[in-house]
Amino acid sequence: MVSKNKMKYFRPSSTHELHDYLVDVKEMSIAILAGGTDLMPRWNDDNGLRPDMLIDIKKIHECFGIREYENEIVIGALTTIQEIKNSILIQKYFGALSEAASHFAGVQIRHRATIGGNICNASPAGDMLPGLYAHRADMKVIGPNSSHSIPISDFIVGPGKTVLESNEIISEIHLKKSGDSSCFYKLGLRQSMAIAVVNFAIAYTRDSNNAFTSLNIAAGSVAPSIVFLNHFTDGIMNGTSLDEAIELVDKDIFPIDDIRASADYRRTVLKNVLKYTFRHELHENCE
Amino acid sequence: MVDILYPISLMVNGKTVQAEVSADLRLLDFLRNDLNLTGAKEVCAEGECGACTVVLDGKTVNSCLILAVETDESELTTIEGLSDGKILTQMQKAFVDHHSVQCGYCIPGMVLTGEQIVKDHDSPSRKTIQEDLSGNICRCTGYQKIVEAIEKVGHEFHE
Ligand SMILES: Cc1cc2nc3c(=O)[nH]c(=O)nc-3n(C[C@H](O)[C@H](O)[C@H](O)COP(=O)(O)OP(=O)(O)OC[C@H]3O[C@@H](n4cnc5c(N)ncnc54)[C@H](O)[C@@H]3O)c2cc1C
Ligand code: FES
Ligand code: FES
Repeated sequence: MVSKNKMKYFRPSSTHELHDYLVDVKEMSIAILAGGTDLMPRWNDDNGLRPDMLIDIKKIHECFGIREYENEIVIGALTTIQEIKNSILIQKYFGALSEAASHFAGVQIRHRATIGGNICNASPAGDMLPGLYAHRADMKVIGPNSSHSIPISDFIVGPGKTVLESNEIISEIHLKKSGDSSCFYKLGLRQSMAIAVVNFAIAYTRDSNNAFTSLNIAAGSVAPSIVFLNHFTDGIMNGTSLDEAIELVDKDIFPIDDIRASADYRRTVLKNVLKYTFRHELHENCE
Repeated sequence: MVDILYPISLMVNGKTVQAEVSADLRLLDFLRNDLNLTGAKEVCAEGECGACTVVLDGKTVNSCLILAVETDESELTTIEGLSDGKILTQMQKAFVDHHSVQCGYCIPGMVLTGEQIVKDHDSPSRKTIQEDLSGNICRCTGYQKIVEAIEKVGHEFHE
């Protein structure tokens, strides 16, 4: 760590350039900079120490854009939330991500904030995360000598914690075209520019009788990281009534009190909104 | 040890600017202190209020959350770059005509955001305008007259 005006800055234009560079800087403390909307408020808050080296990945062309393949959609890690909001492909295949992007911050932040940054920041309230969990997204992680793929639920290991090594970045997010429909809900303390008190995404398929053939729900802000509501969905899939199944949510979540809401409030509100969603939105839509 | 400086070259309001900056210098401070462009203001320094809004490569952004080095090779417009001498843009004129300004502190950000809104949407509804203004806080006007000004320009734009 160094005082702030001694910080070095490097902006590679390819992963190749990034890795050539990283080989030489093993002893340095490094920070990766994407949109900076998480990093910069933190730095504005304290005037103290900075990493030895700031690596701005915004020009790494391999991390740009949303691409469609036969069986999957690939989202470059540097894709901004505004680009996701405006993407017809994302809207078509991953409604939950499209809706999450629409409820994300304000325009100025969305122009900068990246999906890779939202994932690596690993906030329990990150709005893109429930949709990525519900659609079982895979992260492509690249390091100096290798690259590998890892499911998002293994990638994030706690609040603000991921399995990334300091010389690795996420380059892409891979999402299968599973045919699932999905939706996203967020409750904040006001309509926009608010961090979620509770958010969740539901991905599902149904048969011709409108019975669920698959159901996957991931919820944020109700545990140290995003959780799947497996007890609840198992209940629903097994034909348990909604009123009974909803009580199973307690087995899936571990909410805490913080400045935005109490644990009890989060628990109650998640159950109420889920119930409302299943009763009025998911059921009504298909009748 | 001396501070490490990085050369940057960018277009600011249509003119090329070259400078040497340290890596931690924020774009907002670079604009205000080095280029004497004081239209963008600092209020919250955390991306909430929009008083520091500028247009970077055609998109509104918060200059309090961006480093000057990041803007190397880019194109920047600040509120100072909008009018042509004393000739106001439609948006600026609409703000005057609708009495949208009180203390004025938020207004550079509001006007630039207004320009973005009419660029992004055909005849934007009030709801759209309100949503897209959510990153700009005004403590004086109650927003109504700002929304009206943007709505007016939005309609004129697409007539
Ligand atoms: C006013 C305001 C409103 C906000 N509103 C919301 C909201 O509604 N919902 C929400 O979820 N979040 C919100 N945020 C938080 C933030 O905007 C998001 O988390 C955003 O997606 C972060 O992306 P970024 O590119 O700006 O990240 P950065 O700040 O650049 O990086 C965040 C972290 O991830 C690391 N990183 C970034 N990209 C990579 C990569 N490709 N590989 C490896 N590491 C990487 C960085 O090193 C850093 O640790 C808000 C922030 C502000 C300031
Ligand atoms: S000062 Fe930048 S958003 Fe408030
Ligand atoms: S006019 Fe005073 S803050 Fe908006």
